[in-house]
Amino acid sequence: MIKTPLCQLLGIEYPILQGGMAWVADAQLAASVSNAGGLGIIAAGNAPADFVRTEIRKAKTLTDKPFGVNVMLLSPFVEEVAAIVAEEKVAVVTTGAGNPGKYMKTWIAAGIKVIPVVPSTAFAKLFERSGAAAVIAEGGESGGHIGDVTTMTLVPQVADAVGIPVIAAGGIGDGRGIAASLMLGAVGVQVGTRFLVSTDCNIHQNYKDMVLGAKDISTIATGKRLGHPVRALKNQFSKEFFSKEYDASVTNEELEKFGEGALRVAVVEGDEKRGCFMAGQIAGLVNKEQTSEEIIREMFAQAEQLLKDATKWVE
Amino acid sequence: MLLERIIATLKEYTGKNDMNITTDTSFEDLEMDSLDIVELAMKIEDEFNVNIEMSENIKTVGDLVKIIEQAS
Repeated sequence: MIKTPLCQLLGIEYPILQGGMAWVADAQLAASVSNAGGLGIIAAGNAPADFVRTEIRKAKTLTDKPFGVNVMLLSPFVEEVAAIVAEEKVAVVTTGAGNPGKYMKTWIAAGIKVIPVVPSTAFAKLFERSGAAAVIAEGGESGGHIGDVTTMTLVPQVADAVGIPVIAAGGIGDGRGIAASLMLGAVGVQVGTRFLVSTDCNIHQNYKDMVLGAKDISTIATGKRLGHPVRALKNQFSKEFFSKEYDASVTNEELEKFGEGALRVAVVEGDEKRGCFMAGQIAGLVNKEQTSEEIIREMFAQAEQLLKDATKWVE
Repeated sequence: MLLERIIATLKEYTGKNDMNITTDTSFEDLEMDSLDIVELAMKIEDEFNVNIEMSENIKTVGDLVKIIEQAS
């Protein structure tokens, strides 16, 4: 068994969080991860508050275990969503794409453990001071919205910068990733891409097939020019976005417009050409569909073995 | 006085020693992104011994001065 302080902090069996992937991470996926002993997370994304409330209530019927909600701070509905997670008293809130400062007090007062995703040590320090229970140090290997710094470099630096638990994210797809994360100073991991192909995940089969077929060099980061880069699988959409990005005649507004709704097209319609299939660089390592439970057990069995053998090079 | 100290900190952080930084100078002018602004905020907290509340509304040097004045 691998037990870290994160297990106790969150009341979970395995120190693993499922990434709060917009459009992807619904009540069913979150509940499957929580039932398997990890921490499932519902993604609020850009969804209206009512939808988020419905998913939270649905998850409560599917699991007795704790689960979380990822609040996307750039969402047009962020105010309402922030209020709803407090009302529903979800166990954990993770946040992405900004500074959750103004909601922290309300959430903490509601007994929620707040775990922001951080792209740098300064953000980690800022959130620690605001009362975060832990931070997720997410490297640029991740899928979706990404920072510049890699997991390998970010995790140990964040672990040095703060006293609260650090969760590693970005590029973790098997037990090796977990073992390495623990060595870097993290006490848990957040995994997104591998859960895309969970049989408990409701995305279009074409999306899963693209992840299963991906190689190490199959992803591309676009949108740097707009200030919020995104990593997704290479396809007609992402390549076209990339070329428009380097075309001075295309305005930022036109570029934003071009990207709008493309994630939904990928998740719901499975359109291999027009969709934005967000996935991390570890996608090449993800090659079979399993239940969330099988994924978690397999990852931790491998990590445990690796850590037991970890002294083999030490004389 | 506070403004001068902040300008000195900004110049040190950005390396833009020749730039004429005023209260109207924006962080965009200083080519600082959101990561830089938080990094700077942490530096200022240590240096000025204050707790400043970061928000997206801090866009100019003047905004930053105001926030620090409120916090001290």
